[in-house]
Amino acid sequence: MKQSFAIETKNLTKKFGAFTALSDLNLKIESGVIHGLLGPNGAGKTTAIKILCGLLRPTGGEAYIFGKKVPDRSILPQIGYMPQETALYVELSVHHNLALYAELYGMSRSRIAERELELLQFIALEKWRDEPVSNLSGGMKHRVSLACSMIHEPKLLFLDEPTVGVDPELRASFWEYFNALKLKGITIVLTTHYMDEAQHCDRIGLLRLGRLIAEGAPSEITRQTNTANLEDAFLALSRQEVKV
Amino acid sequence: MSIRRAFSVTKRIFRGLRNDKRTVGLMFIAPIIAMFIFGLAFSGDVKDVHVVVVNNDAGFQAPGMPVKVSISDQIIANFDEDVLKVDYLNSEEEGVQRVEKGGAYGLIVFPGNFTRDIYGKIQNPSLPISTTIRVRLDKSNVNVATTVTKAVSDAVLKTMNDTGLQAPVSVDASNAIFAKNAKLMDFFVPGIMAFVVFMLTTILTLISVVGERTSGNLERLQATPLRASEIVIGYAFAFSIIGMLQTIILLTIGVLAFNIMIVGNIFLAFLVIALLAVVSLSLGILLSSLANREAQAIQFLVIVLLPTFLLAGIFTPVEALPSWLRPLS
Repeated sequence: MKQSFAIETKNLTKKFGAFTALSDLNLKIESGVIHGLLGPNGAGKTTAIKILCGLLRPTGGEAYIFGKKVPDRSILPQIGYMPQETALYVELSVHHNLALYAELYGMSRSRIAERELELLQFIALEKWRDEPVSNLSGGMKHRVSLACSMIHEPKLLFLDEPTVGVDPELRASFWEYFNALKLKGITIVLTTHYMDEAQHCDRIGLLRLGRLIAEGAPSEITRQTNTANLEDAFLALSRQEVKV
Repeated sequence: MSIRRAFSVTKRIFRGLRNDKRTVGLMFIAPIIAMFIFGLAFSGDVKDVHVVVVNNDAGFQAPGMPVKVSISDQIIANFDEDVLKVDYLNSEEEGVQRVEKGGAYGLIVFPGNFTRDIYGKIQNPSLPISTTIRVRLDKSNVNVATTVTKAVSDAVLKTMNDTGLQAPVSVDASNAIFAKNAKLMDFFVPGIMAFVVFMLTTILTLISVVGERTSGNLERLQATPLRASEIVIGYAFAFSIIGMLQTIILLTIGVLAFNIMIVGNIFLAFLVIALLAVVSLSLGILLSSLANREAQAIQFLVIVLLPTFLLAGIFTPVEALPSWLRPLS
């Protein structure tokens, strides 16, 4: 049963002291879909992703990736993680950052070269290959970080706000690429607070103050809430929450 | 555990250094400057040096004198108690053994007819006899060796003044037990090497590990198959190599510019340096867990490095410390 889901969480809860960052999250994400986690700052999106990547221990509940309970080291090679705040070695070149992550996954030199070329084209930074990351703009760094998370061809990608600081043209090409990955059977879980962007997701989960307030395909959610777009849907749902 | 992944960390450190010329400069120029400055300027007061006295002097009762006198005993009594801690042995061989085992820094030998010869010389200065106190030293610590010789000479001078004798007593310190031709630099170079490796490794690990954390890289790496142990091993490789390079440079300059002696196994020295690098690295990582930011990390250094620097016995012998502080050292 569990095997059919890439991710499954049961009453996943995370508390930091008295503050509840995530409360009873129940989520099932099928393989080969793009699943968006939406919500304002502090909604618990990043906390959820960090637990799933094994970076945080939940205070309650359970999470499974490909049927294995996290944290589990054996699933690490299959997942890619792009943190919200760019974590790169700024003194290293773009190439060496990519090579470091590739080597950590035990990739061969020839395979690293192939993947690097592919990803540099995708993030449109071929000319910057040998430039230290410190010389890159914020948006460029973000793209390098994205490439680092995908170098080892993970089956499951966690992208924490992958399109922040990326210009509209490149953002469109990102979505094309994400869709191409999806067709290869790769599961992508991403967070965003651009509601318009969430339309590209197969399914979305709306989070607010650590709780999942709605889950489903974007069209379903707008239909259920009787709204024209996700932004209005989110506002409508928030108001409902307050009433309850 | 994968050595390959650990090597990836090592490679990452070196690649980072390639784009960080200032740190590289610090790594290799700082030790050289330190060696010159310390070598030329440093000296400290030495106290509580263990020495062995072999007193063969039988004493002498001069005609018309009521009692037998021993000038050697008077000299020993005039030793500066703060400086010399005296043990008595019966033979020179035993004394040499004691020094060789590291139980004492020097051996002070009074010849058999010391007192008689002094009186003889006073009456007839042309007598072909010598009244010489032989001081045999472990000169590998030049600072201490000089102190012992000086303390003996001072005691002789004081005794002569006290007794009013005008005797030609000489102190001969030429026959050292260890490191006969040692100079101050021979003593300082190893100390500087050790200290530079210790200091730079601790500082660089501390700062880079704190940096890994504040930049988010450490967390990012936790989502990869890289293990914490592999990070530590990767760092250990990198800093052992850097430590060895520093050692090579310092030894080369020491030999070429200061003409130091190399006694013993040089490979053993490299091994010790590598070990020291690992120890310093561990200290750096330990300290890094206490600091949230790089600026905080620097403050820990003052607390940890300065005491280590002063207590390690590399610049001043442990004997120069107050006794209650020595166990800590």
